Amino acid sequence: MSEPILHITGLNKTFGPVHVLHDIDLDVRAGEVTALVGDNGAGKSTLVKCIAGIHGADSGTVEFQGKPVHIRSPKDAAELGIEVVYQDLALADNLDIVQNMFLGRERGSSWLLDEASMEKAARETLASLSVRTVKSVRTPVSALSGGQRQTVAIAKSVLWDSKVVLLDEPTAALGVAQTRQVLDLVRRLAEQGLGVVLISHNMADVFEVADRIAVLYLGRMVAEVHTKDVTHGQVVELITAGRSGDIGLARPEHAVL
Amino acid sequence: MTSTPVSRPDEVRRYNRSSLLRLLHVGGPVTRARLATELGLNRSTIKTLVDGLAEAGVVEERVPRPGRGAGRPSLLVLPQPQAAVVLAVDIQVEHVAIALVGLGGLILGRNSWNLHRRTREPGEVITHVLESTSLLAADLDLTPVACGISVPGVVRRADGRVHEAPNLRWSDVALGSRMSGALDVPVVVGNDAELGALAEYLRGTARGTSDLVFVSADIGVGGGVIAQGAPLRGASGFLGELGHMIVHPGGRPCYCGNIGCWETEIGESALRTALSLPATSPRGAIIVELRELGADPVASVKVLGEFAEWLTLGLVNVVNLFGPEQVVLGDLFAALPPVILEQVSDEVRKRSMVSRAVGGVRIGKSSLGADVKLLGAAEAAFEGVLDSV
Ligand SMILES: Nc1ncnc2c1ncn2[C@@H]1O[C@H](COP(=O)(O)OP(=O)(O)OP(=O)(O)O)[C@@H](O)[C@H]1O
Ligand SMILES: [Mg+2]
Ligand SMILES: [Zn+2]
Repeated sequence: MSEPILHITGLNKTFGPVHVLHDIDLDVRAGEVTALVGDNGAGKSTLVKCIAGIHGADSGTVEFQGKPVHIRSPKDAAELGIEVVYQDLALADNLDIVQNMFLGRERGSSWLLDEASMEKAARETLASLSVRTVKSVRTPVSALSGGQRQTVAIAKSVLWDSKVVLLDEPTAALGVAQTRQVLDLVRRLAEQGLGVVLISHNMADVFEVADRIAVLYLGRMVAEVHTKDVTHGQVVELITAGRSGDIGLARPEHAVL
Repeated sequence: MTSTPVSRPDEVRRYNRSSLLRLLHVGGPVTRARLATELGLNRSTIKTLVDGLAEAGVVEERVPRPGRGAGRPSLLVLPQPQAAVVLAVDIQVEHVAIALVGLGGLILGRNSWNLHRRTREPGEVITHVLESTSLLAADLDLTPVACGISVPGVVRRADGRVHEAPNLRWSDVALGSRMSGALDVPVVVGNDAELGALAEYLRGTARGTSDLVFVSADIGVGGGVIAQGAPLRGASGFLGELGHMIVHPGGRPCYCGNIGCWETEIGESALRTALSLPATSPRGAIIVELRELGADPVASVKVLGEFAEWLTLGLVNVVNLFGPEQVVLGDLFAALPPVILEQVSDEVRKRSMVSRAVGGVRIGKSSLGADVKLLGAAEAAFEGVLDSV
């Protein structure tokens, strides 16, 4: 098999007169970390928001597990098993870890969980990820460090058996050591079989966790490469110039514009 | 562990103290009453020992939740993870993982990164491990007192020299001395399968089973043996290349110079071939494929029947050689479809005469997941620590 779990073709997105994403093709594979890189304003977050159902795309097709799907809202995405983790630590401060992990994900009323089972599920999920840095799952999220909060956000996607996790600069607000712990978790998610998309501006981080790198340049997907086939320098060139040697955009003299 | 008779009172106290710590470290929180029974010591001796450890911050005592029994409940003794912290390093072919592990076996912090090309070279790996450790240690405000390292290769236990780790393309690397020089703490380097076996023995499904074999498939295939409660080691500590047991004369060539090694039939690349996955597909993709296949027993047998036969054949040899009570299958083997695991264990029990003699060896998958070697490395480091905490 090894078909992509998420297969996007010809995605376009405009904001009024501004054409932000041009004919984007992107494949996300289960069991792999795909790094999505590009300069500021290249369209990375917009692409993730289109996949997550926050923005509607103008055109393009999305296939999930081989079937065409229409993601019109974050709820649609969540139902398919697509989870998004943002840089701005999107957890409810006043709630504890358990409440956050179950927030907005009430399943059919037929099996509403009682508090004790919810607590147990949260604890077991964190333990399965071998994340034991939080003392109690009843700790309010406001008392956690940035790294712990991202860990909870990521654990939520595991608890809900997500198939694809999209992380938009999950470590941008974190210190170095905390960043490393979150990236370790990201790498292990893929090892467990999830499809992971990681947006990051840090090339060292990208090379340490990603299996593939997808490069956006001015709203166009200019390259999708295996990490082991490229160097840092090549990826930086792709980000800043849209091409590097034979990879990326065609040379201007050959380009059909 | 000591076999010399102990006599002087302070020696007795030291001995009792480290036995008690070992019990807490491996078994977790336990009541004073239970400690007394397990160690065969009277309650006042236990009280003195525990009081001393509590004062030193090594354990904490808590009143257990009220039980049904009448009378005053025995105090629960809990190991304090920060009281002794070791650095565990798991070097694999595709990635390196490190963790700071506390007394009781708790992972307090961790990191990992993929290896490609140049970053796989010994110097690069060592530098990265050291940098990453100091970051983590500073962030958590912990100082490791010992270090254990798991390496997929032939390792000399005495000084931690990696003789050969072919899949990493390492040969003759003074890993132990370079790491202990930089960290300034004792460093134990072990073969990955041997440390996996140790983790299974102390913390996994084979906990307390005195004779067990751990077999795991990574890029390479390795095996570790615990015999009568101790790791089985050969001359200079070189042992554990079960993956290079020759099972298929006329089969595929192996980098070790032989033809038809077990590894060539049941290693990661053989599994990829059986699953018709491209050679570039990462570990996670194999896991996904196995999981999906597992939902369909008929397809599982069709796709993995031959693979299962090679696994069975090697395991029959292993069981006949070592006569374990239990065989634990780790890493990729733990992700095999249930029907395949069942079929393999049934067949091994049928075909191995040693298994028949002992009334059926238990064969099952590891419960420690991808962390098994990391936890084994931590335990190797703890061996020398518990006497001196
Ligand atoms: N809601 C919006 N309305 C109008 N323009 C928008 C909107 N959101 C994004 N844009 C524009 O789309 C372009 C792409 O933005 P986007 O946030 O996707 O970039 P990015 O690659 O995530 O950048 P960064 O690395 O800075 O996060 C930018 O020019 C931005 O100004
Ligand atoms: Mg962005
Ligand atoms: Zn061989």
